[in-house]
Amino acid sequence: MANLNIDSIKDRTFDAIVIGSGMSGGWAAKELAEKGLKTLILERGRDVKHLKDYPTTNLYPWEFPHHGVVPSAVQEANPIVNRCYAFGEDAMHFFVKDAEHPYVQDKPFDWIRGYQTGGKSLLWARQTQRWSNFDFEGPARDGFAVDWPIRYNDIAPWYSHVEKFAGISGNKDGLAELPDGEFLPAFPLNAVENYFSKHVKDKYKGRHVISARCAHLSKPNQIHLDQGRGQCQERTLCQRGCPFGGYFSANSSTIPWALKTGNCTLRPFSVVHSIIYDEKKGKAVGVKVIDTNTKEAIEYFADVIFLNAAALNSNLVLLNSTSGRFPNGLGNDSGTLGKYVAFHNYSAHISAEYDGYKEWATDGRNPAGGGYIPRFRNVYKQETDFLRGYAAGFGAYRNNTRNSEGIGADLKHNLAKKELGGWSVGSHMMGETIPKESSYVMLDKDKKDQWGVPLLKISVDYDDNDAKMKKDYIEQMTEMFTSAGFTNIQAHTDTRAPGLDIHEMGGVRMGNDPKTSMLDKWSRLHACKNVYVTDGASMTSTSCQNPSLTYMAFAARAVDHWVNEKKKLNA
Amino acid sequence: MNRRIAIRNMALILGSAAVLPSCLGDKNNSKPIVELKHLQLNGDEQQLVANLAETILPKTDTPGAKDLNLHLFAFKMIDDCMNKQQQDDFKAGLKAFADAADAKYKKSFNDCTVAERTAFVNEAEKDIKDKAKDDAKMLTFYQTVKQQTVFGYTTSQYFMTKQVVYELVPGRYNAMYPAAKKEAV
Ligand SMILES: Cc1cc2nc3c(=O)[nH]c(=O)nc-3n(C[C@H](O)[C@H](O)[C@H](O)COP(=O)(O)OP(=O)(O)OC[C@H]3O[C@@H](n4cnc5c(N)ncnc54)[C@H](O)[C@@H]3O)c2cc1C
Ligand code: SF4
Repeated sequence: MANLNIDSIKDRTFDAIVIGSGMSGGWAAKELAEKGLKTLILERGRDVKHLKDYPTTNLYPWEFPHHGVVPSAVQEANPIVNRCYAFGEDAMHFFVKDAEHPYVQDKPFDWIRGYQTGGKSLLWARQTQRWSNFDFEGPARDGFAVDWPIRYNDIAPWYSHVEKFAGISGNKDGLAELPDGEFLPAFPLNAVENYFSKHVKDKYKGRHVISARCAHLSKPNQIHLDQGRGQCQERTLCQRGCPFGGYFSANSSTIPWALKTGNCTLRPFSVVHSIIYDEKKGKAVGVKVIDTNTKEAIEYFADVIFLNAAALNSNLVLLNSTSGRFPNGLGNDSGTLGKYVAFHNYSAHISAEYDGYKEWATDGRNPAGGGYIPRFRNVYKQETDFLRGYAAGFGAYRNNTRNSEGIGADLKHNLAKKELGGWSVGSHMMGETIPKESSYVMLDKDKKDQWGVPLLKISVDYDDNDAKMKKDYIEQMTEMFTSAGFTNIQAHTDTRAPGLDIHEMGGVRMGNDPKTSMLDKWSRLHACKNVYVTDGASMTSTSCQNPSLTYMAFAARAVDHWVNEKKKLNA
Repeated sequence: MNRRIAIRNMALILGSAAVLPSCLGDKNNSKPIVELKHLQLNGDEQQLVANLAETILPKTDTPGAKDLNLHLFAFKMIDDCMNKQQQDDFKAGLKAFADAADAKYKKSFNDCTVAERTAFVNEAEKDIKDKAKDDAKMLTFYQTVKQQTVFGYTTSQYFMTKQVVYELVPGRYNAMYPAAKKEAV
């Protein structure tokens, strides 16, 4: 019996544990397994295997029972996730339903989640931009949050590292505020996007409209073919999972790569309840897991733990990992755990028409979605009455004049018209928000989930800075649209709750000072050096670029750091 | 289309909803064509929707609503994708629509000739254009049927392979494509 027990502990002991198999956890696992560490990935959801588990991927619109529309019973049962634009009949099986995993909204917050192998990397819009020094120097320059403990040069090689493997399409635009990367060919701008790009460049110093950079294999390299992935075929049905592996997801890329090394084990249906801290050893020794099928509690052990459960769930795991040494959550000497949560402000967009370039159209579909306008406000110096700035999407589309007027033969004719109409253009804002102590998450005092884990209580809100920035976005875009000769300009604002941007960040921020931050410059807990957090939770500020590429780069960098530290110890 | 295929296609469209095979065709029949989960419609009401769909998108030299089972698709959408309030409004609007047809032609919409049905629906179209408010319920009902029939049509296999070809895998993005070539498609 005794032997059995020892064997059992041995079976449950690894060199490294990764919590979460999504965008960032997949990277941690790949790097660890490639470097020869026996790695266990713990994933709370079900396993979703590339190709095999994409049930809708090859369906035509008419093959869906409701031709793509989400039935009202599902909509009514899921007011939160139903607000996400990608929650359609083709992809709803990859989203967490509201009732499955409740949380407490102290203030309205749309928490959009994907609990399965790959996490939200299956569903994302694949927009990938590097952050720049203007972002990493932001808090220090503008006096909010705390100073980032790193600068662009620290992370730049890791951006290159992940870009080469993931496959990012883009142009070398030579902009300091949006550093260039290791790009595959960009998806080009169309006639009107190009026109607007030229116009803005001529008329507005420091403003640019570039091809959106995105995680698509526009022209795969050998390293992508080695992953079993092929060229993107411009389906733009990515949220279903791609039969070609044309976009980057953990499912198509990092997870199978990690498993192929033979060093990695993936355990789905495993909710991490907490990280186990050993007071005598002064470090984390493993994690407590609840098997969601058997409800059994199991402990797994490792020298190092990578926490990649996605921003707010990583907060939750740390908050729930209490011990005599850390009564307020693992590593929480500073009292900042769960605080300084921020997000991106997407609550304004603008549309218009353009009466030119009628000789041009587009053919096929653009996976990149069109153009991207990097932040131009307050970049080199403070110039407005709000801090920081916003990036914006920009796209031009030309539809045909199909319409549903009339009945009978007329209607049939109107529905099948092949004449092209004019161009429409649109843009949406992506604003940086300021992390504040008053925007936080904490454990609910009473309510628990079915595995005995306290529910997360979320209290995150906009502020005056966001309102001013939104106003400026509309003013500036309206002016730029007007100046470009666009007509019928319509600005729209909405009152969406934070969270729907799906770029929630913070709560376990990096910083130089253990008294005011959770993580050091290597993404490990100041107070528990064998726990690394490299997802959105670790972000000191939010920048206005899409964040996932940065999470991936931090994950790869942290693994490299751990492996080097081990080497030093063993030397 | 032979009857067995017709029934099989209906089953495909309706999924779990039970099809009652005795009631195919457009003859007046008080038995419902199909049993729905939420929306309670009798046979006459279902026939009215089917005949209305056929009036909106009739068989010409190309298939019409009944050929393509668009009425069944509309039932499914209204049953599954509209909430209770919308379904109640739909039923009320259906009654208003039926009553108005009765009043005008002294017979039911189902008993009207194709020409009468077309004239009646054209009038509804005109009222919507003129924003006539008095028949709001009936017009909402009409618009719902039209919307679902058109949606079913434009996302049907027939339309997406024969009229405007939908490509699942374009395999290309040409950002600068001559409009002249595009219009020729
Ligand atoms: C529709 C949509 C569009 C988006 N567009 C973009 C975009 O264009 N660009 C961009 O940069 N980002 C985008 N995002 C955001 C992007 O998906 C996330 O930033 C990214 O997936 C976060 O990576 P992650 O590893 O932190 O979390 P995830 O990818 O969500 O993975 C976390 C994993 O951890 C698991 N997990 C959670 N808790 C536990 C636990 N206690 N125990 C075990 N496992 C656990 C989850 O099940 C999940 O699999 C988008 C997201 C969505 C949904
Ligand atoms: S656009 Fe490209 S990546 Fe997306 S589903 Fe299509 S082929 Fe796959």
